[in-house]
Amino acid sequence: MKKKILASILAATMVLGLTACGAQEVTDAANTAADVVTDNADTIADAANTAADAVADAAAEITDYGTGEIKVWVADNVVDFTNNQIKTFMDANPQFAGYTVTVEAVGEGDAASQMITDVQAGADIYAFAQDQIARLVSAGALEVVNPLYEADVKANNDAGSIAAATVGGQLYAYPLTSDNGYFLYYDKSVVTDPSSLEKIVADCEAAGKNFYMEINSGWYQTAFFFATGCDLSYETDDQGNFTKANVSYASDNGVVALREMIELNGSKAFQNGSAAGEATNVGAIVDGTWDKDTVKELFGDNYACAKLPSFEGADGKTYQMSGFGGFKLLGVKPQEDDLKLEVCDAIANYLAGEEVQLARFNEVGWGPSNVAAQGSSEVKADEALAALGEQLAFTVPQGQYPADYWTLATGLGDSVRNGEILATSSDDDLMAVLQKFQDTCVGYAQ
Amino acid sequence: MNTSYKKKRAAGNAVAYIALVIISIIWLFPFIGLVLQSFRSYDPAVEYGGMVDYLVPKHFSLDNYRFLFSGQTNFLRWYLNTIIIAVFVAIFQTIIILCVSYALSRMRFTGRTFLMRFWLILGMFPGFLTMICLYFLLKQFGLTQAGAVPGLILVSVASSGMGYYVCKGYFDTIPKALDEAARIDGATRARVFFTMTIPMSKPIIIYTALVAFMAPWCDYVFASYVAFGHDESYNVAVAMTRWVWTNDYQGYFTRFCAGGILVAIPVTILFMCLQKYYVEGVTGGAVKG
Amino acid sequence: MGDSIKKVLSPIGEAVTKGDWKTKVSLLILGFGQLLRGQILKGLAFLALEAAFIWYIADFGGKYVIKLSTLGTVATQKVGRKTVYGDNSFLILLFGVLTAFVIMAFILVWYLNIRDNMEAERLLKAGKRLPSNKEVFASLFDKNFDKTLLALPVTGIFVFTVLPIVFMICVAFTNYDKNHQAPTNLFTWVGFQNFEKLLSFGSSGIGRTFVQVLVWTLVWAFFATFIDYFLGLAVAILINKKGIKLKKLWRTILVLTIAVPQFVSLLYIMKLFANDGLINGYLMKWGWINSPIQFWVDPMLARITIIVVNIWIGIPYLMLIATGLLMNIPEDLYESARIDGATGWQMFRNITLPYMLFVTGPFLLTQFINNLNNFNVIYLLTQGKPLSVNLAENAGSTDLLVTWLYKMTVTDTNYSMAAVIGIMVFIITAVVSLVVYNALPSVKDEEGFQ
Repeated sequence: MKKKILASILAATMVLGLTACGAQEVTDAANTAADVVTDNADTIADAANTAADAVADAAAEITDYGTGEIKVWVADNVVDFTNNQIKTFMDANPQFAGYTVTVEAVGEGDAASQMITDVQAGADIYAFAQDQIARLVSAGALEVVNPLYEADVKANNDAGSIAAATVGGQLYAYPLTSDNGYFLYYDKSVVTDPSSLEKIVADCEAAGKNFYMEINSGWYQTAFFFATGCDLSYETDDQGNFTKANVSYASDNGVVALREMIELNGSKAFQNGSAAGEATNVGAIVDGTWDKDTVKELFGDNYACAKLPSFEGADGKTYQMSGFGGFKLLGVKPQEDDLKLEVCDAIANYLAGEEVQLARFNEVGWGPSNVAAQGSSEVKADEALAALGEQLAFTVPQGQYPADYWTLATGLGDSVRNGEILATSSDDDLMAVLQKFQDTCVGYAQ
Repeated sequence: MNTSYKKKRAAGNAVAYIALVIISIIWLFPFIGLVLQSFRSYDPAVEYGGMVDYLVPKHFSLDNYRFLFSGQTNFLRWYLNTIIIAVFVAIFQTIIILCVSYALSRMRFTGRTFLMRFWLILGMFPGFLTMICLYFLLKQFGLTQAGAVPGLILVSVASSGMGYYVCKGYFDTIPKALDEAARIDGATRARVFFTMTIPMSKPIIIYTALVAFMAPWCDYVFASYVAFGHDESYNVAVAMTRWVWTNDYQGYFTRFCAGGILVAIPVTILFMCLQKYYVEGVTGGAVKG
Repeated sequence: MGDSIKKVLSPIGEAVTKGDWKTKVSLLILGFGQLLRGQILKGLAFLALEAAFIWYIADFGGKYVIKLSTLGTVATQKVGRKTVYGDNSFLILLFGVLTAFVIMAFILVWYLNIRDNMEAERLLKAGKRLPSNKEVFASLFDKNFDKTLLALPVTGIFVFTVLPIVFMICVAFTNYDKNHQAPTNLFTWVGFQNFEKLLSFGSSGIGRTFVQVLVWTLVWAFFATFIDYFLGLAVAILINKKGIKLKKLWRTILVLTIAVPQFVSLLYIMKLFANDGLINGYLMKWGWINSPIQFWVDPMLARITIIVVNIWIGIPYLMLIATGLLMNIPEDLYESARIDGATGWQMFRNITLPYMLFVTGPFLLTQFINNLNNFNVIYLLTQGKPLSVNLAENAGSTDLLVTWLYKMTVTDTNYSMAAVIGIMVFIITAVVSLVVYNALPSVKDEEGFQ
């Protein structure tokens, strides 16, 4: 409470100091700053706008940001890296010295659930995979990107990552990486021709090696469906609610894709999975850049990467496998204190900036979303990122999907794997399955 | 006649021995596998540390154990947390169960049967139901995240009174005449409880404490809920299941095995030493229902 | 019934009509009468409780309980860039319920205070002496020792079990789910909507999934209980067979599974049976199979594997219990059977089994109930997977009601539906317990065998 009062007084003095403001505005803003909530919504809206302007204008003049604690959640393997970067940042910005920043290891997968369970106890700044963004926005766990940085963020990162960080026209997060896509890693001594799925599988079968792809994941599955031209996307409003679904899985193209999945599942070389560290006896694996080092260990000198192969569908046509291009994002949670929010925004903006993205690439190999960083010679020299780049031409930037979609897709994949859907099923049977899938997908949007 | 009977018995015993050996192999296999995996290095220069499809490592190494003790993770902290929780829960839970059991076994007061029935009904609700509520209750006292360790102790201890069955069953078998005699001699209830009942209940006290001590080692569900986002408050179960379940920790499988061995050792030794009491407790509990 | 209510309420009426002025003041100021009559300890205790109650309501509970009917109306707003949280429906419900309990408890205290006053008046009128402070205090360690012993446990159970359960029952009647997540969003009462959804079998309802999960829960509990029971018995008989040496060693090997924490052993076994795990790996290396056995992928196979792994967990436990009980069967029963020429199997069927079943009847029931809620085995092995397109609300083929409930709480934050499932689990447990308990031979016929 004390802190709040202090902040309010500071804000009030600051506003008063702005000679440009009219008398009426000053009172309004001061009221707001003093945390008086009136029942009149109009007054609040007015005051809010004014205060926002005032804060933005005055941002450069604030010298005392108060004190506090800021919690940051990132994946375990970048905890040390993040700590070092934040230290550098704090040294360069003594005006934020009142804040202590702690970094905890909470993976991008877990962060969203835990943020939603208890927003107030969650991290102030946290990294998450983009598929969680809509859920986080609707649970009130994400603040819009500070207008101070918004234009820069939009200009400096690739278009896909900005789309991923946007919900209903509002930019809600700072793009961190642009490498959340997948491609093929293979063992040169096993796979002779990485451009055809049939040949890869045959080579693996012949060598007694496994071909890994996580077909029961809604993320990898789209490699088949998008390849044959199916569509699956959602529209959201700015509250993070899903308003409309565009799905065309229940079509002839969908049946071709599903048949291909069933066929792949029928191979004795096929294993469901995408974590190189958990895989055994690997001949080839569809995986992402984050597993680059593990795969290098696995294959040793035979390490090679390529874009995803193409496959020959049951209709005789050849399709290039597609999939999602995905992104990791850095979010700031809504704050009850303007000044702390400023500090959080500044840190997040720094951690997602060009310099740090490049440093992160050099340290742990995460592919940057920052356009300038992408253009650097180190990044360009990376084989895995090159393969990802090549694959990018065939992918669909991943938009927003309801959380239920992912489990639904896992259900579809599991149904293929456990033989609920068989290769002997008629097209009508497959169509019925896809129709049900599609209806459920549409049902998620209201 | 005599020889054929003997022969038959010898044959029967041979079959029994074979069966027992097979059973032993099946039962020991996972533990042997666990131990062997824990000696496989995760250092790529030596051997691959992720999942492999062979049992015996190609090189024996202590890398995993070195990793756990090296301070690269908070393993020692997690271990300490778990021991703290286990010890305190064992102590307080035993005290509470003894109190409740004595009151329900020896004293007759209004509401006694109501209390027992009510607790029985409460026990029929699944425990996970109330997780979110308990979380926010603990948060109110500041016992989540940084305070998760005392928070977990509090929650385990607070509801332990409902697990009085086995202990009360044991008290019921101690003749009431002993109490009566002491009370005629002028001893108060409290005196009887402290100087007669408790000294006579060593087996059940050990059993209760042992069961209470073992439970926190496996508490993943609630502990992860209460401690989330605060590495220093994790217990071994919360911290180490991440190594298996989360993709952030690929290639940690051998380290998980080594950690698992370290977790299993103290609990197993303690259990083996006190096995006699455990058997008495579960058998008694089973007959009483 | 009516009489007992009258009897309980009579002190209040008496106090109002016939009580002396000290008692009447005590109606408002708790402990007043006791204090004036010299029972300082009791009087202060009552007074302190009243003061604490008033302070609680004024300072904390009051503001929650008045919003209980709407669960809050003030929405969260943005003021500038900062967030001003409105009403927190979660806390309103939680502390509203708590306050309701506190009020009830206070009424009880008030009643006890009246009764104590009337009791004191009666004693004084009869010319008797009131118990001194020292005596009152000493009785807490003798006549009233039960109150001392139970005070802490009962409070603990109340705060950390009763209150949360009542709270969650209330949640079942709200729309507290991922779209109504406190503190940013409000949630409110919706009546029986969630129950209707659970029991509706149309395309949007989750009735079919619920039935499937329920059936598997019951099937699992049945197999897990009885297979383990009979195999455990068999192993116990095997080890106790005359002429078998190293009995302690065999027992110790088995008991290892109880000692090693399950999250270690079960997670290892989960990996062991994986498609690319050790078992499939070796079977393929030896050429016994061509493609991996889908232990955790095929729904039926996954269920069977779980039951089999559970045997590994369950046998040692039952072996221990059976060993203890087998010793109790009078040896002369077997002797006389042997003289009559009975075979081993006949003796087992006619002596051992009936005895064991009789003695362990209630235990089997508890085992069954425990298995209905056996979270660890299922969650550590499969987490309820494999999922299926045919199941709603992310349920999997091996999900028990409790693991489903857990996933709803933690992964989907669909608390209201989780609460409904929790209530269903309670109903099922209660029904099974009641029906089976009354049918047990050891309950019907307490004398048999003893």
